[in-house]
Amino acid sequence: MGAQEKSQANANSMQRVKVYRLNDDGKWDDQGTGHVSVDYMERSEELGLFVIDEEDNETILLHRISPDDIYRKQEDTIISWRDPEYSTELALSFQETTGCSYIWDNICSVQRNLNFNSLNSETFHSMNSDLRELPPVELSTLPLILKTLTESGIADQMRLTELILNDQDFFRKLMDLFRICEDLENIDGLHMIFKIVKGIILLNSPQIFERILGDELIMDIIGSLEYDPEVPHVQHHRSFLKEHVVFKEAIPIKDPLVLSKIHQTYRVGYLKDVVLARVLDEATVANLNSIIHGNNAIVVSLLKDDSTFIQELFARLKSPTTSEESKKNLVYFLHEFCSLSKSLQMVQQLRLFRDLMNEGIFDIVTDTLQSQDKKLVLTGTDILILFLNQDPNLLRSYVVRQEGILLLGLLVKGMITDFGEDMHCQFLEILRSLLDSYTLSGAQRDTIIEIFYEKHLGQLIDVITASCPPKGIAQSVGESTASGAIVESTKPEILSNICELLCFCVLHHPYRIKCNFLLNNVVDKVLLLTQRREKYLVVAAVRFVRTILSRHDEHLVNHIVKNNLLKPIIDAFVANGNRYNLLNSAVLELFEYIRKENLKLVVKYIVDSFWNQLVNFQSLASIHALKVKYEQCLENSGTKSNVNSVDPRKRIDERALEKEEEDYFNEDSDEEDTASVSHTQRAQSQPVLSNGVAPSYTSLSPRSGGLVDYDDDEDDEDYRPPPRKQSETSEEDEGTLESLRLKRKVPSSKEKEPELVKKQRLGKSPKSRDNVFAALCSTLSQAVLPSKKNASGTQLTPRIADGSKSLGEQEEAANSLNSCDNSSSSDEENHREKEPTASRSCSDCMHGSSDNRQLSGEDCALIPPKSSPEMAVNGS
Amino acid sequence: MSDLDRQIEQLKKCEPLKESEVKALCLKAMEILVEESNVQRVDAPVTICGDIHGQFYDMKELFKVGGDCPKTNYLFLGDFVDRGFYSVETFLLLLALKVRYPDRITLIRGNHESRQITQVYGFYDECLRKYGSVNVWRYCTDIFDYLSLSALIENKIFSVHGGLSPAISTLDQIRTIDRKQEVPHDGAMCDLLWSDPEDIVDGWGLSPRGAGFLFGGSVVTSFNHSNNIDYICRAHQLVMEGYKWMFNNQIVTVWSAPNYCYRCGNVAAILELDENLNKQFRVFDAAPQESRGAPAKKPAPDYFL
Repeated sequence: MGAQEKSQANANSMQRVKVYRLNDDGKWDDQGTGHVSVDYMERSEELGLFVIDEEDNETILLHRISPDDIYRKQEDTIISWRDPEYSTELALSFQETTGCSYIWDNICSVQRNLNFNSLNSETFHSMNSDLRELPPVELSTLPLILKTLTESGIADQMRLTELILNDQDFFRKLMDLFRICEDLENIDGLHMIFKIVKGIILLNSPQIFERILGDELIMDIIGSLEYDPEVPHVQHHRSFLKEHVVFKEAIPIKDPLVLSKIHQTYRVGYLKDVVLARVLDEATVANLNSIIHGNNAIVVSLLKDDSTFIQELFARLKSPTTSEESKKNLVYFLHEFCSLSKSLQMVQQLRLFRDLMNEGIFDIVTDTLQSQDKKLVLTGTDILILFLNQDPNLLRSYVVRQEGILLLGLLVKGMITDFGEDMHCQFLEILRSLLDSYTLSGAQRDTIIEIFYEKHLGQLIDVITASCPPKGIAQSVGESTASGAIVESTKPEILSNICELLCFCVLHHPYRIKCNFLLNNVVDKVLLLTQRREKYLVVAAVRFVRTILSRHDEHLVNHIVKNNLLKPIIDAFVANGNRYNLLNSAVLELFEYIRKENLKLVVKYIVDSFWNQLVNFQSLASIHALKVKYEQCLENSGTKSNVNSVDPRKRIDERALEKEEEDYFNEDSDEEDTASVSHTQRAQSQPVLSNGVAPSYTSLSPRSGGLVDYDDDEDDEDYRPPPRKQSETSEEDEGTLESLRLKRKVPSSKEKEPELVKKQRLGKSPKSRDNVFAALCSTLSQAVLPSKKNASGTQLTPRIADGSKSLGEQEEAANSLNSCDNSSSSDEENHREKEPTASRSCSDCMHGSSDNRQLSGEDCALIPPKSSPEMAVNGS
Repeated sequence: MSDLDRQIEQLKKCEPLKESEVKALCLKAMEILVEESNVQRVDAPVTICGDIHGQFYDMKELFKVGGDCPKTNYLFLGDFVDRGFYSVETFLLLLALKVRYPDRITLIRGNHESRQITQVYGFYDECLRKYGSVNVWRYCTDIFDYLSLSALIENKIFSVHGGLSPAISTLDQIRTIDRKQEVPHDGAMCDLLWSDPEDIVDGWGLSPRGAGFLFGGSVVTSFNHSNNIDYICRAHQLVMEGYKWMFNNQIVTVWSAPNYCYRCGNVAAILELDENLNKQFRVFDAAPQESRGAPAKKPAPDYFL
């Protein structure tokens, strides 16, 4: 895109589109860029879509708008359809979302008229001619007005809207009538007025809304809606609004416009969610929402630009003389203020949040988190979440400062604090975001992670050790019940959150966590969870070990084997007996993983140490297969000594690069380990050592020989060559390719990884959003979340092709909804509303508790290669 | 009346629970669900229900037609949430029934019981709207991870939300899935929740949904044969008549959301199996407009902005 083109684009960017056509190979051909409009077709009363080339003014596209439901809107910028004339798929990719929704609305309204005409052409014409003016608003004409309203078709409704708007006194007169009827208790009249007002609202005209939702009329309008003939009792909306609702002013707001908007917003929300909750159609709800949205934006931006207001707010928040009660209100206000700022444009919101940060909002939150009032504490965390959703770096940059250290500590403390019946999952989420090594950059990341590991990891581990009976005790039944009292002391959900955070750390800070684990015997301690009564905690402990093994870290594997750390898991498995439950499945899956990943050392260790226990379960395929694997290993071990299975071709670079660091840590960690290992454990692991470990070291060391020497190990903490490269490139375009990026960062041991990376980079290399193809890719990749093709670069194009057919509806079989009118509209709605959060949500759920799996790429191992789509097709 | 019974009564009126109640309910549910197997055994008689999709009042119709839990033993094939207006109430009612009568209702996971999908198709937004925060969504989606993946009725009828997977040829292979995770993008667990049977496909085909596979009659025949089952019962696809047999009665789709998305005009069905596994489909319509109870949302009593 040249600069010239860009400046041109500003002039008419709303209508600027690229036209795509699906060719026979299932690829999208770019037909050119131009401006789209809806206009009458030549010599015809029919409306069509025109796209005129922006350079040569040639017509790129001429399409008669069809009454059939062939159009699909994807995300916010693409409209596509199967064109009967071209007999292929066409797509318009808009530069701007507003342009897209404008044209979309046009198409929909043309369709409505077409459908109306074909269905009711007679009534249409007869009605149309009648509708020259509205009857005067009088008690006697109410039935006629109602009839006009309810019996008019779509085209009439537009005319009707016009007539209502032209009559400046229409609503005033109608509301006068309403008050008269109410005084006279004329129920029939009131019911009629209810229906009229409801009908008028359903006309869904923004101009009418502007008029009836204004300060003068809105209470009467709401009053008239109290008399729903279908509801047996009269509703008391007005008295609720006047008497029960409290408008709280933490700081007095002086601007009358702001005040009026605030009240209006509440009333419109009330109208939408309470008064007419069951009556409104989606389009009307959308319009009311946009009024609320617009009001919020006005309110927030007027308040934020009022420098005295913000100053007073923070002055009072910080002042020692402000009472506890009003401080609370100020914090609640602040939360609402931040929350509503979502209605601002991204840039404005970001600027606002920066300003709030400079005013010291994080200091305020830090205070809040130390409050005894749990609700207030949680409001503090909610504010942090709003900041993280907007730009995680604001909070991070605070946390690395001296005064921020306290906040990090409070967050960790919050996570392990019992909030009684309140939910407090926010703490885990905030910590995860702060510790996320994929999105953090150099120095900041190191500082936060350093503080966390230095000060807090131990704290978390201590909670586990304090709340689980010591290992020895649990062996005998009597004592384990004796320690039951301690067991109850920590809420299980807190332990489960800790375990989840640890799994997250294993994936995000493999190097740091390794040192920590090896030095402090953390794995052993976490496995104390297997002593807990709650089975989901036992399962969480299994998953923790599974996550560690997925790292393919030879030191950790050795550590586990040497210290007999699988014993608690095997014990739990055996104790679980033949019950086929989640624990059983999780352990079997662990065995399958160990076997399929060829972790020979672990296979030997398990069978050598536990076969007499496991033999009872050998009817299970996974157990049997493990034994078979063991025997194969024994056979091979004479000829070839392999470490823990990892294919040297794939892993050699990575391992070698880490080798230096590993060696460094290897020395003390080994000593530490052996020192801290109990005698029984050592005795048990002895045979394994002689079996597997020794050869494995010798086989590795020569490899590391001539490779690059890294002396700055802090920087390279998370060094994994392929992911690192990707993260650098993907930082260039924040947000747009969030989902892809996360996928690409997946550290994987799969052989095809390097190739994959390259292809996907090509796919996204045009990083400017102007490039419609890139936009198309990104929208699709976001729209189609569960997409296996994203994981294989080679299929990127076909994915787009078939994505376009069902678009937002991907997840429905296309034909299943064909019979529904407007079937896609709700989805589109969702997509549109979701857009600002889409990237966040992707990252959210990628970080989301249990899909650590996916991040680690373990999935690959879970699934035999034959299940990949290509293979399956070939194989059939 | 216990708290739980009271909550069930409240939910039956389509009134959502408090956050704290949701939390307690989810923790109890977790303890129950963790004990279930990936292929949960179910005894006949049982009534099998397909997608609900947050259509709370239509689910009440379902209970009218099928009988109340615990009198009737239920198996729900997933997709409790998204699209309808009452995903929160729908899922919490089913979950409360599960906690109250664990042996009389079985809930298995559908493709919509997922963090990613619910963020796009409504459940996430609904939680945010109804509770003002996404904590309830977080708790519910954590519970989704514990839901079983399939059910086996009297060793004869295999029930699953979506369909078969090329990675699974025997029921035993489902056992080694650690189901406590977000629905993956591919692999056995994904396929069970996403696949569809398809007439024109012989063997396996790519699914237009972008996840799971299409599978043909021969796949079903050999699966049923090698696992010694009579037929497969699944949901996941809208069928206008409420249920649909395919491949010579080897697989049946049951759909329990009438007038899907409040506008598709379809009827819904449930499949009743008696103790001898005799089948009876009960077809029902959407709840009449007037039975759609009280307003959905209680507004906050105070506001700053």
